Amino acid sequence: MGIPQYFSWNELRMTQTIASREANLDAKVEGGQFAQWRQGVGGWLFLLPALAFFIGYQVWPIFRVLWVSFTDFQFLSDKPAQWIWFNNYAQALSDPLLWTSLGRAALFTIMFLPGTIILPLLLAILVDKVSNQRLATLYRVILLIPAVIPSTLIFVLWKWMYNYQSGPINHLLVDVLGIFTLQNAPQWLGGTPLTLPSIAVMEVWWGLGYHTIFFIAGLAAISKDLPDAARIDGASEWQVFWHITRPQLAPIMMILVVLRFGTAMAVIDEYLIFGGFNRASPTYTWTVMMYDQAFKLGLWRQGYAASIGMIGAVAMMCVMVVLLRIFRPKG
Amino acid sequence: MTTDALHENAIAPIEAKGWFAQNRSSIVRHAVINFFNVVILLPLTWVLLMSVKTLPDAMRGDFWPRSFDFTHYAYVFERIHTLPVNLFNSIYVTAATVLITTVCAVLAGYALVHIRPGGAGVVVTALLVSLYFPVRVVSIISIYETQYRLGLINNTSGLILPYVTLQLAISILIMRSMFQLVPHEIIESARIDGAGHWRTLLEVGLPMVRNGLVVIFIVNFVAAWGEYLLCVTLVDDEAKRTMPVVLAAAQGGQGQWSWPNLAAVYVIVVTPGIIAFTFAQKLFFKGLMEGALKG
Repeated sequence: MGIPQYFSWNELRMTQTIASREANLDAKVEGGQFAQWRQGVGGWLFLLPALAFFIGYQVWPIFRVLWVSFTDFQFLSDKPAQWIWFNNYAQALSDPLLWTSLGRAALFTIMFLPGTIILPLLLAILVDKVSNQRLATLYRVILLIPAVIPSTLIFVLWKWMYNYQSGPINHLLVDVLGIFTLQNAPQWLGGTPLTLPSIAVMEVWWGLGYHTIFFIAGLAAISKDLPDAARIDGASEWQVFWHITRPQLAPIMMILVVLRFGTAMAVIDEYLIFGGFNRASPTYTWTVMMYDQAFKLGLWRQGYAASIGMIGAVAMMCVMVVLLRIFRPKG
Repeated sequence: MTTDALHENAIAPIEAKGWFAQNRSSIVRHAVINFFNVVILLPLTWVLLMSVKTLPDAMRGDFWPRSFDFTHYAYVFERIHTLPVNLFNSIYVTAATVLITTVCAVLAGYALVHIRPGGAGVVVTALLVSLYFPVRVVSIISIYETQYRLGLINNTSGLILPYVTLQLAISILIMRSMFQLVPHEIIESARIDGAGHWRTLLEVGLPMVRNGLVVIFIVNFVAAWGEYLLCVTLVDDEAKRTMPVVLAAAQGGQGQWSWPNLAAVYVIVVTPGIIAFTFAQKLFFKGLMEGALKG
């Protein structure tokens, strides 16, 4: 996931209703032509700094990458780049490594998604019921600590946790519990089959508190009357959760699934730190493959790398659009 | 335990298990929450203890050190010559990033809600789409080219430009939902009294969105302080890199990068953020909730 992705509920909901709402706002400008013009200029002046950065370092690079993906551009080569249409795409799509790497990213996503949605939901329901204000605050602060530790420092921490020889996890398994010996202790990272699940566990740990807070905010918005009435009528806690709480949290949960799907498919930092550029490693996903081609191999075939990046990005965007369609609230 | 429960136990010892039965769900709830709290705190405690272990203790791997050794903190500053440099790089880049992003986000958020120039909807849509597209990964190819053209490869200050955009979109959207909480009438009346947009924003708007400011401060601090991909790609020179990249490359072993020394560096890098957050947590939660409960 690279960077913990922050967002507020408002943004999540907006994605679905954005178009209609914005159109209304635009129509509300008042006053004469000159006043309107002045308002426009003033507004864009305020937007200018943000837009300069946004366009310069997000919009432009994406379109530039799209352009480059149709050329045979090599960064370290003196030859001018030639327009070669879909040759890069054809070559990438016929490379079995690309399909393997996309599959690996999908595999990681499947390992990571359930834990990162269900555990925080459970925790949020529990913390939401804590009536002691001080304890509730304490719990929230502890839960959120991993969310304020920057990404790379999380990875460094867990690199130590998973260390084969001196990591505390293997120390526990070998020296304390005696389940394994120093010879057959699990190799958590470094391209073994355990690498992806290990990273998934780390990611769930990292996002646990932040997602919990997220669901707590959602629970706070639900009226307490309905669950209370149901309880008086003899409904069990499970029935209250399943028939009242769950349906109300569902839309938010589903958009969280979509966003988290996006971050999980595009993980790169962790793979570079834990797996390197070994093609046989399960961490060699489409993102690492793109990076490898763009900055490591040969003359830096960035045209080819760009096509890999575009294929990966478009593939995951397609799945996200499908997911959004499926989960769209009815009515 | 409530006083009522105590009282009951006192007069009816036969029902001694009554208290437990009554509070079972509460006990289970706190037990489960605290289990997760321990899971969260254990790795961090391990590093903290590692940083005050003697070398033999560190090799032994016990959780609790047999004897404490606080010299590692002084050692890393005195003997690892690149450490103060890397630390300074991190502080400098992060401070600049947080400052620039905050200014950009506040101005943009205000404009999108209270000035609403034509075409603002397009901007909001573009920001939202950028949250779903894996921009950070794909754009790295062209960002390298841009920085190369600008002569900013291997330049620590050059990192600030792409760093600003790391969380820019979400910062603007957060500020936008914060400014939506400020009633239009308040802004309008300030404007009618003759204040320009600048004064209205500084004197009327900003104080009302300070919880949101705390949120984007923390969000951008976390993003810039721990950034890896851009720094490792755009900067080759170890002395020009930021702290996290150096830490990620360091292998625990002997000499200056022995385990306790590494752990000491880690604690130095991680603690400021956690302390700042602990103090700001009240405002932070308020900010998160305000953004969340609206709309």
